[in-house]
Amino acid sequence: MNGGPALVSIMRQGSTLIASVHTALDDSELVRFEHDLIHQIGEHRSRGVIIDVAALDVIDSFAALTLRRIAEMARLRGALTVLVGIQPEVAFTMVRLGMGTGQVPTALDLEEGLALLAAHPGAGTDSTERDARPGSTP
Amino acid sequence: MVRRIVHARVGSHPSAEDLVQETLTRVLAASATIEPGMLEPYAIVTARNVVASMWRDADRRRRNQHRVVDLSTPDLPDSQVVLDEEQSAMATALARLGERERRTLLEHEVSGTDTHTLAARAGSTAGAVAAQLNRTRARLRVEYVLAAEQAELPTDQCRAVLIALSGGDQRRQREVRAAQHLLECELCARLSEPLLERGQQRDDRLRIPVTADPDIVSARRAARELASRLDFAATDLTVIATAVSEVCRNIVRFAGTGEVVVELLEVPRRGIQVVARDGGPGIPDIDRALDDGFSTYGGLGLGLPGVRRLMDEFAIASEPGHGTTVTMTKWERTHDG
Repeated sequence: MNGGPALVSIMRQGSTLIASVHTALDDSELVRFEHDLIHQIGEHRSRGVIIDVAALDVIDSFAALTLRRIAEMARLRGALTVLVGIQPEVAFTMVRLGMGTGQVPTALDLEEGLALLAAHPGAGTDSTERDARPGSTP
Repeated sequence: MVRRIVHARVGSHPSAEDLVQETLTRVLAASATIEPGMLEPYAIVTARNVVASMWRDADRRRRNQHRVVDLSTPDLPDSQVVLDEEQSAMATALARLGERERRTLLEHEVSGTDTHTLAARAGSTAGAVAAQLNRTRARLRVEYVLAAEQAELPTDQCRAVLIALSGGDQRRQREVRAAQHLLECELCARLSEPLLERGQQRDDRLRIPVTADPDIVSARRAARELASRLDFAATDLTVIATAVSEVCRNIVRFAGTGEVVVELLEVPRRGIQVVARDGGPGIPDIDRALDDGFSTYGGLGLGLPGVRRLMDEFAIASEPGHGTTVTMTKWERTHDG
């Protein structure tokens, strides 16, 4: 992103975007991540987004807010977001701090996250076929 | 007449007037024992003696300056110019000390008189003399830095703050609100750097300046690292890091510049204390800022109230126009909870 090693990698698998955060992010890096991800959702016509936050040692109020905002924007762009990999200590702290992930669905790890997306109508990885035939959605 | 003699010997030396005054005092003090008519020659001789002793003092001071300089100054390139500047700065600094303090300090540092001897002479204890020497050294360091930088202090508070910092006297630093002052006074912030270098060797205390987003991450990382030396559970480490993150964000967002001091505590129990300080606009309504869901920048409004829930002790002090200080503590717990 800024010359150094990538802080976040965003990969595409079918109509699902998988964003892995590799290291602690500061506020401006979080905001940049938010922009990048929203942009890519539009570019790849994604239906599902998985954000892997296993590498985040701290999710404070701003990080939580940003993740919620990403999910809400993605929803408005037609994609379902699943948060995966929240560490147990981080989860504890988020609860004590009095914040959660709002309406954003979560899963334990990447695999569970993909399963959750697959189970959700319209957001699974098999939805690519429907892209080709718009209007035929049940 | 005395003035003429003195001037003939020292020219326009800044201390000429002092020497004249000293001579006159001595002559007056002795006038009762001097035969009439001999007053004039006596004054002349006294003036000569006073001037000579000044040169002798100055010379001794110059020869021995390096010993005192070594106390406080970092190694500098060995050029003559720097040496000269250092010497004149040190001479100025010495001259600004009180007469008694200077004499005691020089006697101890230069002549090597030990504190017991000095104490016996002054009718006090060796400990008291040592403490006084420490205070004098602290002052000398401040005066030296001031002279070397040729700085004029903008407020009365500045000198008190710098001396407290130089002496490493934490109680005094709190009394004069040193940390707060450093955030508000740019000159003192700069001058205090060399003075604080001596004290930075303590490794159970970290000071992290906070001005921009990346500092938030480094501050919480530093706090986590320091805390991990105690027996904190993994959850508590995350709790501490998160709390530091929240208070640092407030500094960056509302004040623009501040600092976080993380310190391990031993008394009354083992724990970690975090003090976040800024020189920003302050919080007009603290009760409201501590309300859940109150936010001035569209955040979740969980920052301060959340931090209060996370930590064991939480105190906030804010003065509009003079910034905000958040002090919070997490006590060590050996079991999870």
